[in-house]
Amino acid sequence: MTLAANPAAAGGVGATAAPWARTALIVVSLTFLTLILIVPVVSVVGYAFSEGWEHYLAALRAPDTIAAIQLTLLTALIVVPINTIFGVAAAWAIAKFDFRGKHMLITLIDLPFSVSPVIAGLVFVLLFGAQGWLGPWLDTHDISIIFAFPGIVLATLLVTFPYVARELIPVMQMQGREAEEAAVSLGARGFTTFFRVTLPSVRWALLYGIILCNARAMGEFGAVAVVSGHIRGSTTTMPLQVEILYNEYDLTGAFAVASLLMLLALVTMLAKTLIELYGARRRRPLRVRPPADVGAEHRRP
Amino acid sequence: MSISLEQVSKHYDGAAAISDVSADIADGEFFVLLGPSGSGKSTLLRAIAGLTTIDRGRIVLHGRDVTHVSAREREVGIVFQNYALFKHMSVADNIEFALRARGVRAAERRRRREELLELVALPGLGERLPAELSGGQQQRVAVARALAHEPRVLLLDEPFGALDARIREDLRRAIRQIQRTVGITAILVTHDQEEAFTMADRIGVMDRGRLQETDEPRVLYSRPRTRFVATFLGAANVLLGRHEQEGVRIGHSLFEPSPFGRPSRGAEATVVIRPEDLALGQGEAVVGAEPLGRGKVEGLEFVGVLERVRLSVAASTALASAQHPDAKQFLLEASRSAREAELAPLQTGQNVSIGVKRVHVLPTPIGSLRMLAASSERIEQLAASPVIRELAARMHVRPVGRVVDGDAPIDVLGGLPVVEIERDQGLAAPMRLLEIGAHQVLGIADSRRPIDRLLIYVQPTRSAREAALGAAATLLRHLAVDATLLVPAHQRRSLGGSSYRDLLDLRHSALRGYGVDVRTESFDGLLAEAIRNRAHGERATLLLLGVTSNASARGLLEELGPALALDPPAAALIVRGTSVSGAEGASIPYVRQPAAASAFR
Repeated sequence: MTLAANPAAAGGVGATAAPWARTALIVVSLTFLTLILIVPVVSVVGYAFSEGWEHYLAALRAPDTIAAIQLTLLTALIVVPINTIFGVAAAWAIAKFDFRGKHMLITLIDLPFSVSPVIAGLVFVLLFGAQGWLGPWLDTHDISIIFAFPGIVLATLLVTFPYVARELIPVMQMQGREAEEAAVSLGARGFTTFFRVTLPSVRWALLYGIILCNARAMGEFGAVAVVSGHIRGSTTTMPLQVEILYNEYDLTGAFAVASLLMLLALVTMLAKTLIELYGARRRRPLRVRPPADVGAEHRRP
Repeated sequence: MSISLEQVSKHYDGAAAISDVSADIADGEFFVLLGPSGSGKSTLLRAIAGLTTIDRGRIVLHGRDVTHVSAREREVGIVFQNYALFKHMSVADNIEFALRARGVRAAERRRRREELLELVALPGLGERLPAELSGGQQQRVAVARALAHEPRVLLLDEPFGALDARIREDLRRAIRQIQRTVGITAILVTHDQEEAFTMADRIGVMDRGRLQETDEPRVLYSRPRTRFVATFLGAANVLLGRHEQEGVRIGHSLFEPSPFGRPSRGAEATVVIRPEDLALGQGEAVVGAEPLGRGKVEGLEFVGVLERVRLSVAASTALASAQHPDAKQFLLEASRSAREAELAPLQTGQNVSIGVKRVHVLPTPIGSLRMLAASSERIEQLAASPVIRELAARMHVRPVGRVVDGDAPIDVLGGLPVVEIERDQGLAAPMRLLEIGAHQVLGIADSRRPIDRLLIYVQPTRSAREAALGAAATLLRHLAVDATLLVPAHQRRSLGGSSYRDLLDLRHSALRGYGVDVRTESFDGLLAEAIRNRAHGERATLLLLGVTSNASARGLLEELGPALALDPPAAALIVRGTSVSGAEGASIPYVRQPAAASAFR
């Protein structure tokens, strides 16, 4: 036991713990996960179908719910491309160039992670609301942002903008600048370098970032709740629709929409896992051809 | 010339990464930039490639000034330490990248790719991904890729750093072979001496952002110009001898005078003796070698092909350690072949006579640093000043301190005396030492700020110029500073209006004679004003004055006196060209062993 307690002597971390400890740890985490995650998920799905398949479909076909789904998809369709472009640009700037205020920029990118989404929403109300700084001007020009579609897009943009950049920055930093420098010295223009060298080398991280960004854009509640105004059929997104239905005691409807959101989340996680697996395989090719080239190493040209 | 660098300088956050590097690299030459890490060699390579901008200077590739040309248009090929292959592309696509960027047709691209794969001995591997190749093969692909667009310059940035010793050796030969076949000019950056020696036509040794020396490997090894290169390339005993009328005295022997300059009699000579140039004998003298002295065997180390012998030797006026100038005993490192060791075995503790087969005198006038002050506190203060600390650290010299009381004669001939400059005294203290026979004196006024600029003024005689440039070269190689040579405009006019001739002439002799590049500036009006305008402000200046004789030094200091007394530069080095002769020199006690009163143990 004294020997086994010493990692160096035992030869590895796995060997240091007694078998009962490993079992206990696994049981504890599994129990916890079941209580916290699996039971609620199953109950949501169960509840959604509790009144039968037809009822479930009918709940989804309600005009307000369809409008909510459309709004959510449209928001994601606008937000995700914008944040992808922003994320790539920011990550490129941070990883490949040195400039003043670089650390400031990194901190700012992280800000939406640390700020409560409700506050993120309130910021826009303060800016564009009737009592806000730009409110009167917007009012005279008949532009509505708050309690309208633009407000929802803005709030979602703000909340989801770190995802792509955050995924790309570490990958790009790890890769360094040498490949780009090689490309430039070989005569490639900035455009070619970016699309043929930089982007392909980070494509898995980028895809991963886009998926996370999309998941958050569709699922965002707090910030959107503040700016949307909850106008049924016009400014409610799927998460808001869930809340409205729930508050009206339409539990089946609420859980039906919730299950749809969850389906989106599951698809996202599945895609993410597949990408991770595929990405890992690309990094360490499994099928290394048996080298006929061992000799080439020592052959004189 | 394939590559011409003219006074290339680069600063990062105020610190000099490259200082005034000038070099010419011929067509088809394999040039190696060798230096410790942080010496600026990679930055220089990147500057040539256009991946880093430079602050000053010019980079010319094949007669075309590319200083402001982007990396994309410089037509150079680069190979990086970590290959920097495009991992998502096949080997073929990697190699064809440059051709694609130039819109070369597919058939031509394929032909060229096959040719290059053949050249780097990887035929038929075009379809592989880089990750499917070994490190050595990846680097071969990187070389092929860099050569695809037929650049006229190939830059290699530590290309073997990530490889095993065995593969490294193969690849070295392969790259050298490819370079010869293609006939391309190549620059290789490395910190590995052996690599530099085996590959280079010429080596440029870099340290502290300066190109310290450039020459063929053999010349650099056998006749280095600086302590840094002498000790950086292989093992070396760096010793202090004496310049005498007939030559350089080292231990019991007299050697031919150094071919560099004409140092003053009695001055220290810095001598390099390689371990293999020492010969050991059991008798009174060693056959076939000049006698150096006797020593005691301190340690023996047998390393197969040779035996290393450490000897302890008693110091004398003409034989001392350059590192510890005041040590009574110092260590010499000798080596002899395994066969010699077998024929005449030595034991630890045994006394032997030491002979020397070859010596090399460094062309530097600065041997040891000898601080002179009235009290040991003052000496400590001098020793703590950044100039002395930096010089001592870079030259591997321990500064020697000596308390001087008014009357006792001082050994001023040995080394570089260092004194304090007091605020309202101007350069009076250094001048006093010149008067009693010192060839050069370093005065320090500001013992806190590190020096970041060297301002040089030389009286218009050959002897002053040579002495001053010799000292400047030593300083520049050991301090990371900019150097400016001041030339009065009226002096140029008086030389028959030959505008910049004199200016260029001075720079040329600095470059040719001492291998160090300085910038020149001409000024109108009073010298005192010109110095004051440049020596003041944020940057701490070391003022180097080259004077012809003591009389002319007195004249110069009279001219500068008032200005310098009020506001002296951070440090001043006065170097005299002609040695003190006749009456002036006779009264001086000639080369005296320093008295025991040393503040430093």
